[in-house]
Amino acid sequence: MSSNKITREELDHISKLARIELSDQEKTTFLPQLESILEYLDILNQVKTDNITPTYQVNDQKNVLRQDIVKESFSQKEALSTAPKTQDAYFVVPGTIKK
Amino acid sequence: MDLKSLTIKQIQELLFSKKITATQIVNFYLNRISEIDPKIKAFITITDKVALKQAEILDAKIKKGESVGKLAGAVMAVKDIFLTKDIQTTSSSQVLNGYIPQYSSTIYQKLIDQDAIIIGKTNTDPFAFGGSTENSGYFTTKNPWNLSKVPGGSSGGSAAAVAADLCQFALGTDTGGSIRQPASMCGVSGLKTTYGLNSRFGITAMASSFDCPGVFAKNIEDLALVTQITAGLDEKDATTVDLSVPDYSKLLESVDLKGLKIGLPKEYFSDPINPEVKEKVMTAAKEFEKRGAILVDISLPSTNLGIAVYYVLVPSEISANMARYDGIRFGQNTTDNKDITSYYMNTRGKYMEAEVKRRIIIGTYALSSGYYDAYYTKASKVRTLIKKEFTEALKNVDIILAPVSPTTAWDIGAKSNDPLQMYLSDAFTVCVNVAGIPSVALPCAFDSQKLPIDFQLIGNFFEESKILSVAHQYQQFTSFHKEEPKL
Repeated sequence: MSSNKITREELDHISKLARIELSDQEKTTFLPQLESILEYLDILNQVKTDNITPTYQVNDQKNVLRQDIVKESFSQKEALSTAPKTQDAYFVVPGTIKK
Repeated sequence: MDLKSLTIKQIQELLFSKKITATQIVNFYLNRISEIDPKIKAFITITDKVALKQAEILDAKIKKGESVGKLAGAVMAVKDIFLTKDIQTTSSSQVLNGYIPQYSSTIYQKLIDQDAIIIGKTNTDPFAFGGSTENSGYFTTKNPWNLSKVPGGSSGGSAAAVAADLCQFALGTDTGGSIRQPASMCGVSGLKTTYGLNSRFGITAMASSFDCPGVFAKNIEDLALVTQITAGLDEKDATTVDLSVPDYSKLLESVDLKGLKIGLPKEYFSDPINPEVKEKVMTAAKEFEKRGAILVDISLPSTNLGIAVYYVLVPSEISANMARYDGIRFGQNTTDNKDITSYYMNTRGKYMEAEVKRRIIIGTYALSSGYYDAYYTKASKVRTLIKKEFTEALKNVDIILAPVSPTTAWDIGAKSNDPLQMYLSDAFTVCVNVAGIPSVALPCAFDSQKLPIDFQLIGNFFEESKILSVAHQYQQFTSFHKEEPKL
């Protein structure tokens, strides 16, 4: 966490990982903002946490299980009703495998 | 009939004694909305047809002498991140413009089942990412006390709707202060429940280990009444806890103020607090002292780390949750993409608001290879420290009293180009979310510009009945919660 310099190349890489297209204008705006945010987060480095267990869940609920019972659910029509593009009983997406 | 100053119970008395009909109640609020909301812009969608239909059904039940739900006639506004079947749900993002969900969030459904009436869906920062509603993909909501000021956020539309008497209560969510902070800016009461008390099912996810749905109202009595309905186990949200929900309304007088130990954490009464806010919140504490409570100076030394912990963990969880938005099953999409990857990138790039992208980018960065331990693991460890400080402090005092926001409402636009400054305004709310404990915000003063100031009462896990009782008693000897903005 010591270096807060986030480069344009790094931002390009992160935006690909996050599947978000950023315009050049957005990258120019975001870079200094991200830098100042990351610089602020450095405050965490000043804290000694060697023997501390991390908290991922605050109320100590663990592995809540239930019986796997088949229940009534959406009809096919309902399930597809919000999709931008459908055909027959399917969601339509651009090709995922190259021809 | 002017319903503005009445509690839900008082309105129900009128309804059940047939002095007023549910249709008249709904029309009262619809008229106020059409008169006042163009100035405030609290609502994205006004559900007049649904509300009138619900009222008609309720009136028919009352006429026939049939039993009615516990919230019969209570008119509510719903933050637009709660899914409402057959009613547009945008999350205040252009991504979901026009999205009509096929199912409802658990909490909304529970309220409707008790005959609460939905009057509209309220504006928020997109997907609740923000503290002022200025990030909304639609418009900025105005503060009812001063139209040039922000209402706070993210649940700013809900807070403004309650403050302007456009509904009796409203639903919000508090991930880092998004109920308490706008409650403070708008001078209303709001409850951030213990993590796991209220179901998150059917609410567009922000940060799953933080998100706490909750209620805004004009007074604590109404908050207690509504929370009674929303709380409890939901098999659709595995983090909800199986416990019997106490009767919050019956317990409103249960805590004896005499001898009550109230902790005042020194970190919440120092920088960056505005001196006027500090003085007014101290005055509220002194009111309890006059009635026999004991004020105890305490310290929560990791408070200054709260924002940093929050802005590592929350964007990380946001990036994971928002990764599921693919533009295939619902919401906006783009055409003419060469492959599926560019479909995702272009759809998300085109429709997500700047703050949504910024948080996903921060989170993706924090979770990416080489940085995970430095950010996510480190922040999760500091989270342990913050939580422990609260639970330790609450062994020595009964309740903690603190300001909600370091300042009163700021000018629209003042912080919108500086995300870090916006984040820092959550300094006094985020630690409660990091720890997962409950806190209720309620009005205690106005500043010299006549802008409201709330304070918060913080309790240990599942001590909602305690904090509500102390807050309710405060409202019995003060009347700040009864003041109304001139509109």
